[in-house]
Amino acid sequence: MEERMMHQVDETVARYGSTDEALVEILRDLSQQAGYLDRPTLAAVAKKLAVPESRVFSVASFYSMISVEPLGKHVIRMCQDAPCHVAGGRKIWETLEQALGIQFGQTTSDGQWTLMPTSCIGLCAVGPVMMIDDEVFGNLTPEKVNEILARYREQDGGAA
Amino acid sequence: MSEIHLTINGKPVVAQSGQTILEAAKQADIDIPVLCHHPALANWGACRMCLVEVKGMRGLQTSCTCPATEGMEVETETEKVVAVRKFVLELLFSERNHYCMYCQMSGDCELQDLAYRYGLDHWTYPRPFEKMEVDASRKYFIMDPNRCILCSRCIRACSEIAANHTLGLRDRGARTMVVADLDVPFGESTCVECGTCLQVCPTGALIDAKSAYGGREKDVIHTQTTCMQCSVGCDLDVVTRYQRLLRVDGVWESEPSGGLLCVDGRFKPLYEKRQRVTGPLVRKDGKLVAAGWNEALGIVAEKLQSGSCQGLAYCATTDEALTAFARLFAKVDGAAGRIEPQVAPLGFGQVAKVQDVLDADVIIVTGAQPLEYQRVIGYFIHRAADQGAQVAVITDDENGLSARAAMTLTSAEAGKAVETAAGAGKVVVVYGTEIKPEVIAALKPLGDEAYILALDPARNAQGATAAGLQPQEPSDVDVLYFLLGEQSEDAALLAKVNGAFKIVQAAYHSPLVDQADVVLPTPIWVERTGHVTNLDGSAKPLHAALLMPENVRDEAEALAALADMIG
Ligand code: SF4
Ligand code: SF4
Ligand code: SF4
Ligand code: FES
Repeated sequence: MEERMMHQVDETVARYGSTDEALVEILRDLSQQAGYLDRPTLAAVAKKLAVPESRVFSVASFYSMISVEPLGKHVIRMCQDAPCHVAGGRKIWETLEQALGIQFGQTTSDGQWTLMPTSCIGLCAVGPVMMIDDEVFGNLTPEKVNEILARYREQDGGAA
Repeated sequence: MSEIHLTINGKPVVAQSGQTILEAAKQADIDIPVLCHHPALANWGACRMCLVEVKGMRGLQTSCTCPATEGMEVETETEKVVAVRKFVLELLFSERNHYCMYCQMSGDCELQDLAYRYGLDHWTYPRPFEKMEVDASRKYFIMDPNRCILCSRCIRACSEIAANHTLGLRDRGARTMVVADLDVPFGESTCVECGTCLQVCPTGALIDAKSAYGGREKDVIHTQTTCMQCSVGCDLDVVTRYQRLLRVDGVWESEPSGGLLCVDGRFKPLYEKRQRVTGPLVRKDGKLVAAGWNEALGIVAEKLQSGSCQGLAYCATTDEALTAFARLFAKVDGAAGRIEPQVAPLGFGQVAKVQDVLDADVIIVTGAQPLEYQRVIGYFIHRAADQGAQVAVITDDENGLSARAAMTLTSAEAGKAVETAAGAGKVVVVYGTEIKPEVIAALKPLGDEAYILALDPARNAQGATAAGLQPQEPSDVDVLYFLLGEQSEDAALLAKVNGAFKIVQAAYHSPLVDQADVVLPTPIWVERTGHVTNLDGSAKPLHAALLMPENVRDEAEALAALADMIG
């Protein structure tokens, strides 16, 4: 496991070059390969590029396409910008947190759901808007959110 | 650098080219508010608090980054500027928890000061802040992210000044947080507890555990003195109130450390647990009992004249005391020396100052562990490495500097360091008592071009040398006189002490004190006046921030009194 990870890091760093500038690309690539960047991987990258761990972590946690926590089976991204907010986003936000029992930025303990805020996804006309994985849902109401979640749960075989 | 002329708020101001508007204004006593800016750190330009209007320039300028130029006309408090500053403050106050009355920094907080200055009298925006967890995993200070304005001063201080790179930011947007390493608790991180981040934080986000709620700036007294915990001799700003020691800060723009301190200087002395010797003690019927100064000194004077005697000092006290000690023993024809080993000169090179490390191109470290014993020098070496200096550590054991050094070599490979240094510009050799003869021989080709920084293990080694005290072992004499100051003797010394009559002058109780026939008390660092001579050879002043306990006398004074009694 450890060896495999080290191999992956070595290979990826070799591909982009072991320079400070390549850091974002290296992290993005590794995150895509493994789904997220665990701490040993981040530490290995820091060591390999001889940059402080704090910097690697700052970069990794800054970009939304890189994750430093394991993500759930489904990732919900809810628009947090003003147009969705005025269209009732706050209610949807709360409904999601309540329904899943987690806060934004967290993943349910059964590993099914990750709740993430996102910036505008360009569908303000049908706000509030959220994405589940690659699918977009607009004109959300609390009832609608609960329905959608129920549908996903059913598809997943009644789990959580 | 050339002179430039500009006007700020209609006032003609002369500045140097390369200065920012903020610096020019400061020189002219015009106060522009800042939050992310700190004079000891590189200019940043993130918080927008220092915005000013410049005639002919579009939009407002961040004065902390905008260079002052010839003929510039600057206005620092126009309606527009004030409105933007207020807006920024309103956002900051709505972002996290700034209920000032529950904050230890209230009254001394740069954020709060600005809120008063710009008349924030209500919450303009709703306060959606969630509670964030306080991190108290470090012994000496606490991080409360709920008070953090993300100015990043701490992050930059850790990287630029301490060169430790522990701090970074997690996430972005509303959940952004200052975190350590890969987001571990601060107490489990690479943090070396130098406290630089604590000192630069403008808010109550980083709080000193000891001085919290101990007194506001208006209530406290600042005393500038010199750290006596190692031979670097950093400047200290000691904060006290009602004779209580609250906090120690570094002094920006001081030599040699430039405001950087280490855990040994900033925090540890405030947590001293050893039991103090509070007055003279003499042995009567086999027991140490309290005595007056006259009685105790009388016994000592008589003993010193009644047989062979030797004085041994830890160089943990003032220049004045060490000189008085040497004088006293010259007077009674006794031997006098220091207890700590001494670093021998290398026989080549020129004497380096501590700050020579900072602009070195190659640094060779051998026989010394500056990260453990002269920590600021260790941090300076890290800083030089960040600037591109090649660091070569020559050691046959572990050395903390290896982790970030360009190379770690065994004694046998020492020649490689010389190869690296060849034609490299400024070469600094940092060494200590553990240096090996074969390494000295291998480094010799560096010649007199090289800068040599000898890290003497004694705190006031230079003061001892000036007083003529050289290392000595306890010998077979009738009377042994130990000048310990704050140093507790080590087991090795204790083992060498024979059945002589023992006089011990010490600040704290220890096994040697318990065996003594006469004990004389000494002040501790924060009570001292006089001087201490640091590695750079400068005699740095000591100013007492606290009074000595009633029955304690300065060593120099007690030793002079003894010399007088002996006549
Ligand atoms: S902890 Fe203090 S210095 Fe660091 S970012 Fe927050 S407010 Fe600024
Ligand atoms: S105490 Fe020093 S090492 Fe630790 S985080 Fe602060 S500046 Fe960095
Ligand atoms: S480096 Fe030495 S002088 Fe400076 S703060 Fe630390 S112990 Fe004191
Ligand atoms: S002080 Fe100038 S932008 Fe922060």
